[in-house]
Amino acid sequence: MKANLIWITVAVLVLARVGWRLTASRRQAAATKSRRRLIKNRGYAAFKGLTVASLKMYFRNRTAIFFSLFFPMVFITVFGLIFKNNSASFKIDMVNQSHTQLAVRFEQALKDVSAFKITDTTTDQAATDLDKGDADLTVTIPSGFGQIQNGVPVPAKVTAHYNEERPGNGQAAAQILQQITSSMNDQLTGAPRIVSVDASGVKTKNLTYIDFLLPGMIGLSIMQIGIFSVAFAFVSYKTTGMLRRLQATPIHPGMFLGAQGLTRLIMGMVQTLLLATIGILFFGFHLDPANWLAFGVLALIGSAVFQEIGFAIAGWAKNEDQAQPVAQLIQFPMMFLSGTFFPRDSFPHLLGVITGFLPLTYLADALRHVANDNASLWAVRGDLLGLLVWAVISGVIAVKVFSWE
Amino acid sequence: MPTTILEVTDLRKQYDDGFEAVKGLSFSVKKGEVFGILGPNGAGKTTTLEMIEGLRSITSGTIMLDGLDVRKKAYQVKERIGIQLQSSAFFPNLQLIELLRLFNDLYAESSDAMELLREVGLEDKAHAAAKELSGGQRQRFSIATTLVNKPIAIFLDEPTTGLDPQARRNLWDLVSQIQKKGTTVILTTHYMEEAQVLCDRVAIMDEGKIIALDTPDNLIKQLLGRGFKPHTKVQAATLEDVFIDLTGKELRD
Repeated sequence: MKANLIWITVAVLVLARVGWRLTASRRQAAATKSRRRLIKNRGYAAFKGLTVASLKMYFRNRTAIFFSLFFPMVFITVFGLIFKNNSASFKIDMVNQSHTQLAVRFEQALKDVSAFKITDTTTDQAATDLDKGDADLTVTIPSGFGQIQNGVPVPAKVTAHYNEERPGNGQAAAQILQQITSSMNDQLTGAPRIVSVDASGVKTKNLTYIDFLLPGMIGLSIMQIGIFSVAFAFVSYKTTGMLRRLQATPIHPGMFLGAQGLTRLIMGMVQTLLLATIGILFFGFHLDPANWLAFGVLALIGSAVFQEIGFAIAGWAKNEDQAQPVAQLIQFPMMFLSGTFFPRDSFPHLLGVITGFLPLTYLADALRHVANDNASLWAVRGDLLGLLVWAVISGVIAVKVFSWE
Repeated sequence: MPTTILEVTDLRKQYDDGFEAVKGLSFSVKKGEVFGILGPNGAGKTTTLEMIEGLRSITSGTIMLDGLDVRKKAYQVKERIGIQLQSSAFFPNLQLIELLRLFNDLYAESSDAMELLREVGLEDKAHAAAKELSGGQRQRFSIATTLVNKPIAIFLDEPTTGLDPQARRNLWDLVSQIQKKGTTVILTTHYMEEAQVLCDRVAIMDEGKIIALDTPDNLIKQLLGRGFKPHTKVQAATLEDVFIDLTGKELRD
């Protein structure tokens, strides 16, 4: 686990450094070349100049980089490490007071259950573990267990306790225990099996929590770049008078909006690529190469929709004090209600229905669907339609409330 | 033979709240001169300037700049002029040289950014960010950005407000230098001494109207002709001359 963390940190730092160098030299070369060649084309030169400037500003803004790139990566790493290899299991404290053959056989039968993690311990320790929640279930095999009198086994009882305050895992484990006991009984008594279940595992993609979490986190950071970074940067250009200075030049101010938008689209894609790569390389995130395109297209569309929301806020707000609470008010509920950290299935019915209409829900669901179920863009058209509706709504609001001052 | 570069006729500005900031201005600026608009705060100087620059809508009247109607050809006008706004902010996290190159791109120009910095004496700050500059340096940089498109006229809105005497005189030199190259300069100021040194002609505004327009010398002559006597005895030097003499002329940025 530690080794993983170190590797990830090293990889991220190296990537960032190399990426910076590469873009720096390429930018310089591109800048000189473009200056020579494209002087005639005002629109193109201006748009390119603004986009390059916007990208530079973004990359040199440490706060923005931290929140939009570094923070989600740390998040994914931490969650990935916590939930790695964490398939359902039950912690069971075993107190075996009998040394008969049957007792040994019984204990072995429990140890054979892959979902059980069995610790041999004493009665006192078992009670403490149960109390603290370190054990889901305590099983005591009494000393008289499995003794044979006159060639016939004496009926014996195993006692099992779970914590009534936290019954979930304990009850489930007790059920399994019950089944093992009754099948052992059947074997011992040779009773005919009238009813039986034939259950066997089927090989699946073996989706883990990371497969749930990562699409949500990618959606979340796309939202972050779209709403927060757009709203803040743009409002600050308003308050500092930079927008006004641009208006004093012959470019159409819409061009600046376009360049800012393109910058954030690029950032959103970089972010998606980084998070997905970390997930695939280190945490077994499942994303079939056949789905990369669909995944990328979704990320791009999501980016555009959230940017519109960002521009609506920035266009309306006169200063940072107005932009901040509105941006938070829109973002914060979605962070928790759009099924980014935990599934929305667990919500009360009405909340589940309402949160189904949030833009981040559409984006996260669609991304998850593509990654987990190999869904095509056509298959997630419902989510895409939802995003489209939000695009139209926020677009109309943005146009209505927009002001340059 | 001086030709007219700017012709303002019966210019008016009424804001949405009914406030009439500019009440029928008419004046013209000749090519190559430094024209000053003076007046107390709220006289309508900035509003007038912004209407000429195409940054603010015109309620009525006409503005012709280099033969172009500002109201109809705002973009073409902006290509020909350079504008320094009262609050000069620049994008964060960009170096001066990068900002100038960006302005180059905005005008599809290819001015030598380093040469421009040299002109305003900021060559050694090429890789500094705008926010690291002192007040005087920032104003000089701001003027550099107005020169990117080789404008026929530049507009400076209170360029020396808040600067120390050294920085102010340094900026005067810069403005004279720009004028010598044939660029018309239209500026607003609160400082009469500045207007007297820099401007070929000044318009004095109050409450949205021009109340006097002439060369500084003529305005003074007219005042004296009306029998004006200064309160204090006229001295051959001012306190600022004393200050500059004692502290030296070099910049303290």
